[in-house]
Amino acid sequence: MKRSGPHVPDPRLDLVLERVVDVPRELVWAAWTTPEHVLRWFTPAPWATVDCEIDLRPGGIFRTLSRSPEGVEFPNVACYLEVIENERLIWTTALRPGFRPSAPPSEENHGLRVTAVISFEPQGSGTRYTAIAIHGDEAERKRHDEMGFHDGWGTALDQLVALARELQTNLDSPKERR
Amino acid sequence: MPNRSTDLNHVFRALADPTRRAVLERLCSGPAAVSELAQPFRMALPSFAQHLDVLEACGLVRSRKTGRVRTYQLAPQPLKVAEQWMAAQRSMWERRLDQLDSYLDVIKEKKR
Repeated sequence: MKRSGPHVPDPRLDLVLERVVDVPRELVWAAWTTPEHVLRWFTPAPWATVDCEIDLRPGGIFRTLSRSPEGVEFPNVACYLEVIENERLIWTTALRPGFRPSAPPSEENHGLRVTAVISFEPQGSGTRYTAIAIHGDEAERKRHDEMGFHDGWGTALDQLVALARELQTNLDSPKERR
Repeated sequence: MPNRSTDLNHVFRALADPTRRAVLERLCSGPAAVSELAQPFRMALPSFAQHLDVLEACGLVRSRKTGRVRTYQLAPQPLKVAEQWMAAQRSMWERRLDQLDSYLDVIKEKKR
């Protein structure tokens, strides 16, 4: 059942991350579904999660509040689609709680719409968990890009990418050669 | 535990090395066989081959074998916009899950 999950990832749009941890499945599940745990890990440093609300049922709210190092706060609101204890958790930011469609990405919600499917299975004394991040189509991604959306963690990477492109351009330019 | 680096990490690691940058510069003027690429360097062939492997693994160059000769050429821009966007998303998720895994270790110890 879990192996033939609810989603076949599209490599152009979706991310699949798989981890094996030497931690019992119940504890990994708790870390994903309990606010005091989520606060501790959900947002990559130097950002932080400063508030979290969870109503663990399909249609229930999954809300986090991220704070940038400069102290700017960004709310992220998602709706649970599937909650199978210790097995699978699906939430999406494309819906608000109660399955109500959310607004398309805009300056106000600076939102990236994503659906996350997290599957948990026991492996030995530990757990194998898989997170699939499902994104919208090309058009949505472009909108996201054009808004200059930077989630903090994206910024440093973007600067590196710009640097790499510069290096690449220098390498590609024939005058650099002999 | 699988902990995949992003493609971008590999590109930067590849570009950080002067030998590899020199190889890329040479390939800007056209494809070349391994022996020709290795010629300017005082380096054992297996070590040099490792540099080529690094460049190929991150998609900066491509190779083709004809008979006993392997020829390298520059690959098209590996850092397309779509890939940058995906790389940024992947980096966010990787770091998020890195934090989760460290945190899980902490709470596991506490439960003991």
